[in-house]
Amino acid sequence: MTEEETAPSQNIKYPHWQRQLEAALLEGDPQTLRQRVDAAEAALFLRSQALAVTAPENPELQAISDAIRILRTIQTEKLGYPPWNK
Amino acid sequence: MDKKRVLIVDDNSAVRSMVRQVFELEPDFEVSGEAENGQEAIEKAENLKPHLIILDLSMPVMTGLDAAPHLRTALPDVRIILFTVEEGNEVERLARVGGIHAVVSKTQPTATLVSQAQALLASQDDGYGSDQLRNAS
Repeated sequence: MTEEETAPSQNIKYPHWQRQLEAALLEGDPQTLRQRVDAAEAALFLRSQALAVTAPENPELQAISDAIRILRTIQTEKLGYPPWNK
Repeated sequence: MDKKRVLIVDDNSAVRSMVRQVFELEPDFEVSGEAENGQEAIEKAENLKPHLIILDLSMPVMTGLDAAPHLRTALPDVRIILFTVEEGNEVERLARVGGIHAVVSKTQPTATLVSQAQALLASQDDGYGSDQLRNAS
């Protein structure tokens, strides 16, 4: 498998939010990280709203749930958000 | 009929904007302000005296769960809806402990948020208590 084939942008399954999530995951600048996380969170929220009337078995809903969990970890571990379930 | 004042609390400006649009379409509500975290919500609520607070859970500085008891103390009659992507029994338990009146999932259509808000405020106007947590997740 070539490097090009494994690049994140080559494997976009959920175009409404996956690029924004990857941008947040790959962001190394702490000053920009909050913006990236906010953008990803907004994209996930809008997509959730669009999918709200679809079947709960839709695999994208589970992917969104996983993505939100990742963002929560970034927020608490890198952005200083207080944990809600302390 | 007097419009019900709504305070929207969420760290994400896109979410605040969408919630604002939803409530501004309703003739019985007016959005009186926005806050980006729990601490700011407490400060603004004391000035704006909203009837209803739409409260995010995970925010910088102070979470929605930490802010809720302070908001209830400052405004005992205010109705609070936790609007969150987090779901499950633990969130509901902590929401109940914090004095939150309803939990609405961000994965639900925003119409659900409005209907919960209307139901909560109607029960308040009818003189019924709302100590039992409503769940629309």
